[in-house]
Amino acid sequence: MTTITGSKPSIIKSFFPYLIAVLASLVAVGLFIGLMGFDILHAFQTILFTSFKSPNGFTQTLLKFVPLVLQAYAFTIPLAAGKFNIGGEGQLIVGAIGASAVGIIFFDLPMVLLLPLVLLGGIIAGAIWGLVPGWLLYKFNINEILTTVLLNFVAFALINYIATGPWRDPTAGHPTTTPIGAGGFLPMIIINPPLHTGLFIALLVSVGVYLFTTRSTRGYEMVATGANPRAAGVFGIKVKNMFVMSLVIAGAIAGLSGAIEVAGVQHRLIEGLQSNFLILGIIIGLIARGNPLAVPFVAFFIAVLEVGASAMQRTMKIPVEMVFIVEALVLLFVLLSAVVRRK
Amino acid sequence: MTDVNIPLILYLKLILLTMVPFVLAGQGTMVGGRAGVFNVAQEGIMLCSASIGFLASYYTGNLGMGILAAMVVGGIFGLALAYFTTTLKMDQFVIGLALFFVGLGLSTLLPKLLIGVTMTPPLIPTLNNIPIPLLSEIPYIGEVFFNQNILVYVSVLLSIFLWWGLYKTSFGLSLRSTGESPQASDSLGINVTFMRYLASIVGGALIGLAGVYLPMVYTGTFTEGMVKGRGWLAIALTFFGGWKPLNILIGALFFSGVEILAYKVQITALGIPYQFLLMLPYLATIFVMIFTFRKPTVPQFLGQNYDREKRSL
Amino acid sequence: MAEKPILEMKDIHKTFDRSKALDGVSFNLNAREIHGLLGGNGAGKTTLMNTLFGLYKKDSGEITLHGNPVQISSPRDALDLHIGMVHQHFLQISAFNVLENIVLGTEVEKKYSMDLSAENTLIQALQKRFNIDVDLNAMMDDLPMGSRQKVEILKALYRGVQILILDEPTTNLTPQEVDDLFHTLRVMVEEGLSIVFITHKLREVLSVCDRISVLRNGRNVITLNKNEASEEMFVRGMVGDEMDIQNSVIFTHAKSQIGTTKINPEISLKVENVGVTTKEGIQQLKEVSFEIHQGEILGIAGVAGNGQRELAEAILGIIQLSSGKILLENEDLESAETDKRIQRGIAYIPEDRLHDGFLPKASVAQNLILGYHKNDPYSSRGFINWKTVTQVSEKLINTFNIKTSGPSDTGGNLSGGNIQRVLIARAFSRPAILLIAHNPTRGLDIPSMDFIYSKILEEKNKGMATLLISEDLDELLLLSDRIAVIYKGELVGFLDREKFERYEIGRMMSGYRVEA
Repeated sequence: MTTITGSKPSIIKSFFPYLIAVLASLVAVGLFIGLMGFDILHAFQTILFTSFKSPNGFTQTLLKFVPLVLQAYAFTIPLAAGKFNIGGEGQLIVGAIGASAVGIIFFDLPMVLLLPLVLLGGIIAGAIWGLVPGWLLYKFNINEILTTVLLNFVAFALINYIATGPWRDPTAGHPTTTPIGAGGFLPMIIINPPLHTGLFIALLVSVGVYLFTTRSTRGYEMVATGANPRAAGVFGIKVKNMFVMSLVIAGAIAGLSGAIEVAGVQHRLIEGLQSNFLILGIIIGLIARGNPLAVPFVAFFIAVLEVGASAMQRTMKIPVEMVFIVEALVLLFVLLSAVVRRK
Repeated sequence: MTDVNIPLILYLKLILLTMVPFVLAGQGTMVGGRAGVFNVAQEGIMLCSASIGFLASYYTGNLGMGILAAMVVGGIFGLALAYFTTTLKMDQFVIGLALFFVGLGLSTLLPKLLIGVTMTPPLIPTLNNIPIPLLSEIPYIGEVFFNQNILVYVSVLLSIFLWWGLYKTSFGLSLRSTGESPQASDSLGINVTFMRYLASIVGGALIGLAGVYLPMVYTGTFTEGMVKGRGWLAIALTFFGGWKPLNILIGALFFSGVEILAYKVQITALGIPYQFLLMLPYLATIFVMIFTFRKPTVPQFLGQNYDREKRSL
Repeated sequence: MAEKPILEMKDIHKTFDRSKALDGVSFNLNAREIHGLLGGNGAGKTTLMNTLFGLYKKDSGEITLHGNPVQISSPRDALDLHIGMVHQHFLQISAFNVLENIVLGTEVEKKYSMDLSAENTLIQALQKRFNIDVDLNAMMDDLPMGSRQKVEILKALYRGVQILILDEPTTNLTPQEVDDLFHTLRVMVEEGLSIVFITHKLREVLSVCDRISVLRNGRNVITLNKNEASEEMFVRGMVGDEMDIQNSVIFTHAKSQIGTTKINPEISLKVENVGVTTKEGIQQLKEVSFEIHQGEILGIAGVAGNGQRELAEAILGIIQLSSGKILLENEDLESAETDKRIQRGIAYIPEDRLHDGFLPKASVAQNLILGYHKNDPYSSRGFINWKTVTQVSEKLINTFNIKTSGPSDTGGNLSGGNIQRVLIARAFSRPAILLIAHNPTRGLDIPSMDFIYSKILEEKNKGMATLLISEDLDELLLLSDRIAVIYKGELVGFLDREKFERYEIGRMMSGYRVEA
């Protein structure tokens, strides 16, 4: 997707089309909101500034940022290799299942042991959920869009089973398990408002993905595979391995996002914890045009919008889907701007 | 009639009933694909048309308006897909995903805006069965095949019509050629752009029809996420059917058979937790695809955009 | 020959993105003539005719047919005006049979049942009239190249064209089939057609054309009757002053090397009884055996599609061997995968440069290191040394004259000829024991062709062995020390340089075996 060598085009120049895209979508939705009889200015203020108006708003944004940026990478890494991973949701869910399982089974272990195990449980489970479509692609040439999506549905059924099965919390109204051991909780950076260390993990992953994609030899091979799998294969790159590798890494990262939700936020397995992270992750990945450097910034922006959206629904009764339409429009405009630039 | 046969007849009747969204969405995907346009937005289109079709029926009191609205919505998505890919030459998968998001968002936004959140869901009447005179009175077979709602009949007739259209008319030959080699078609004077737009719009309308079937036949109302992956399954079905209309019809029977089986086994309660039975359609599809992708018969130019002035080397 | 031309193209301009392909070109065609359009690759010949056929839109200029100005904005318009074109790369649908391919896009009698018997009869009559013979019910995919070209010609004749454009029609034909084609062209002219014959081969144009127009760099150079000018004039016209003809490889090498090549006894590549059979049981290579010595150029002649690509890919390890051995400097390559074989010293210039060799979305630098990216000096301990990569890339861009804004320019911005230069630069960027070059100069203009030839000869003198697979017989005759001919996956004969004879090779290309 991107050419990665030493030089980069002027940052201002590459930022401009995004700015236009955001403005255009806000105008479009603004008109719609106005037509429906709501206060446009108040709506915009709420969407854009809730994150910055209070410490709670800001930490909420950072908390949202963590799974979003990880889901985005789970999409962009296979994208670099030319493959579409739509399974981040299922991979997150099984990651959460893996993490909770470890956290419940080894309930009494101290943090120094339990926490890494919990996270590892999520990573491995997610990696397996990415390996399956990867293997099906490798061995049978089955389109990964289909297999990753289908596995999402399998994961939905699976989490429902586990959250209503042997580990279920009988006091909860919604399918939920009993909590994991306290050793599995992610330490908090701030207690009030709550912000967990998953943020550091997410940032670490971002740096890692960036270095991997742009500087490592394997990263080059992955990018070459995505650029032209046939030519890459002719010149010695083991293309099929690249496909599997990218899906496994993606699954692992998505699984990690699930583990972080369990270890940092819920401290148990709750059905529905995957929220709308997948779709937003894909939107982020596409807006960022697959560029690993742009992903965290776009992810943060989307997190701001999401926090603003819930606030807007709470205070102004405007449905959150409005903001979703904004996000979809931003994507559309960003894609269009690439076309315009071509002319 | 003995007691044993009644459940079997009901079972077979249900299969035909449930195959409709698969057939319609599958044929819709196939039609677009035959011109080289690979639609992956089915899930979003079906959700959106289910939502809008339901709302149209609810407010006009007329199921026919709902069907019309759904097909128009689907057609618009098809038009958008054709425009962004054929005219603006953007990546078909990426646009498909973007349209999926738009459809998804609109499908939940519109009911919330128009109806709001209510305790009891608003309902529309469901489609009645239309028994075909004489034929529906044949014992057993008549009940299964000739006493169904109109869209069941439409699905079957549509499939046959598409087979005839694609393979027995010169228009069909031209359409197929644009999906195999637009360069060849273009050089012989065939309007590739027109074919792509037409196929994508018609395909989208069929997918829209598949979507509105769900509220109109299953539940009588629209619920979020009610498509439950059938849009994605339709893509698998199209590959499974080799992009051929009659094979897609037969494949749809298989897909719906598995879906009904999951429910049937639930009722008989074999001791397997029912969640695992819910997984059945999806796992079965994955399994089936192992054989499909061995030697897929796919239109050669599927998923790619054609640019006449692109200089080959 | 009529005095007034039936077709006139006046002052045609066409620009693509940043390059001017046609700079005020004019062309006219008389009735019943075969008019050769001659020039090196990139001269503008195909662009001009694609404009006439409606595939490209001209920026400015006028086209008149029988004295009347016409607007041609699509192939439909061209066909309605009875102008037809046979393209260099056949535009055929492999999923359809021959009959369907021919009638596609025309009014068919039985539109609603596709019973094509009436059309079948018509086409059979056409075949008789023009002395062509193709099985109308065969699947397109099953036909050999020569027959596939006949189908292209039938497509045009069926539509009643008066003017037929042929773009490099002899690319995939044996010398005998070329003669066959020329005969067919003369029959067509006798039946009233006028023909435009695009080629970069002087020899062909002199043997079949009545008039010849030379293009260079998108401009007219000269238009003459065949007998009015010398070969030298036409050559000068094609290359202009860009090339020192007297000292070039193309025009001097042929004469200087006969009998003086001493074969080095060291063997670089040994191919022993190699067979390749696909999963479906198709034998792509059968009992192929040969050796290439250090510093030797072995040419592989043959019509496209007889196993050339499979041979190259087998040596590189992209295709698995079903039988036999391949040894590079006496080391069996069986256990080595493609990346190891490239590392060991095999360089490759693939034929399909875009699909098999180039990464359009990546940068020029990323393209230049493809295949060598895992090793010194580009990579160490798992990380790529981009500084070194950039330095080397800049040097290669310079040496091989690649027109680009720099190592970080996106590959997709390069023109076809420059993409080829990237692949060639890559192949010569590291020392190699063996170079496999498959149609290395296709798409290059004559000075660039000459540059590549001199590079190959330079490395040859340093000991590099070359497997030169080419569908251009002239190229093979120019450079090879020995030529082997491949037919249906088998090597049917070897010829030493002293014994090179065009028609002998042509016979072998059609399957005639020469017993050693």
